[in-house]
Amino acid sequence: MSNPELLLVICGLVLATFLTRVGMLLVGERFKPSPRVESALRFAPICALSALIAPEILVHQGTVDISLANPRFIAAVAATAFFLWKRSMVGCIVVGMLVLTAVRFGWMG
Amino acid sequence: MRVASFSRDPAWRLEFGRGVRAAFPAGPGVLAWGVVTGVAMVKSGLTVPWAILISLLVYAGSAQLAALPLIAAAQPVWIIALAGFVTNLRFVIYSASLRRWFEAYSLRRRLLLGYVTGDFTFAMFMSRVAREGEFVHRDAWFLGACGFNWLLWQVASIVGIVAATAVPSEWGLQFAGTLALLALAIPACLRWPGLAGAAVAAPVAVLARGLPFGLGLVAGILAGIAAAVTMDAAVERRRATAQVERG
Repeated sequence: MSNPELLLVICGLVLATFLTRVGMLLVGERFKPSPRVESALRFAPICALSALIAPEILVHQGTVDISLANPRFIAAVAATAFFLWKRSMVGCIVVGMLVLTAVRFGWMG
Repeated sequence: MRVASFSRDPAWRLEFGRGVRAAFPAGPGVLAWGVVTGVAMVKSGLTVPWAILISLLVYAGSAQLAALPLIAAAQPVWIIALAGFVTNLRFVIYSASLRRWFEAYSLRRRLLLGYVTGDFTFAMFMSRVAREGEFVHRDAWFLGACGFNWLLWQVASIVGIVAATAVPSEWGLQFAGTLALLALAIPACLRWPGLAGAAVAAPVAVLARGLPFGLGLVAGILAGIAAAVTMDAAVERRRATAQVERG
């Protein structure tokens, strides 16, 4: 990406994060989200996270690959299992990276 | 109207110090998360100055990490901004809860309080006002807690950014950013609406990834939200019915 484009990206991200944090502090009490809107706001982040990471994990060399041949898929499964066991974000990252490295360099047979 | 300022008022400073100390328990997590974000930014192809600029200005770990694969794939600017916006929508809910506690402060003060809000400091603040109500100099407490958090985060990020240049790209460290987002996503999936949202958003985004202008991402997010809201309404209905039957 070129520098002017990156500058635009930063402006866009600054605007996006600023609006979400500050917006409701500036408007009056009457702008209260309805229960349905609040439900959508509550679950939008998990949907965005899933939509962002799924292609990173499941697409290997251009195609969907849910098998042992996809190192990032195996790493993500191991990281998820570890997180569910220990509830540690750092542990989740470390285990995922170790498994990814092990699989990529063929240390697992 | 200025209710309180960065004055030499000792009571204000005392409250600021209390806020700083209240943020200590989150320290190790903030440091680790900051280093990972810094490393992932550089390993996704950003140069050191750009990575530092993004860290200082955007100050939103999940939104920054969300933007990385999209920047690497040269997606349109508005799609990247939208991804950051949606990832950060939880702050709309936070700030809606903070509003009544901050509405007496000046516009400038509210802008600052909003900008520095973080997940952990928000939760700590809400538990304090739940105990003590409208305590005096709550802006000082909030700025102390969030300011400490901000400083730790920036130091950790910049350490990660600089350290990343010494690490070979073959290590695949940009994947650490994806794993960090995964660790954020899993807890939300332990309840039915979140799980429904993820279970719909993920396959839609994967299958629609070839769409132009990054629209596959938008399709995944919208389909996921529809599924999560539907599931949320169903869960609420069931709970209400169960209550009527018990009562």
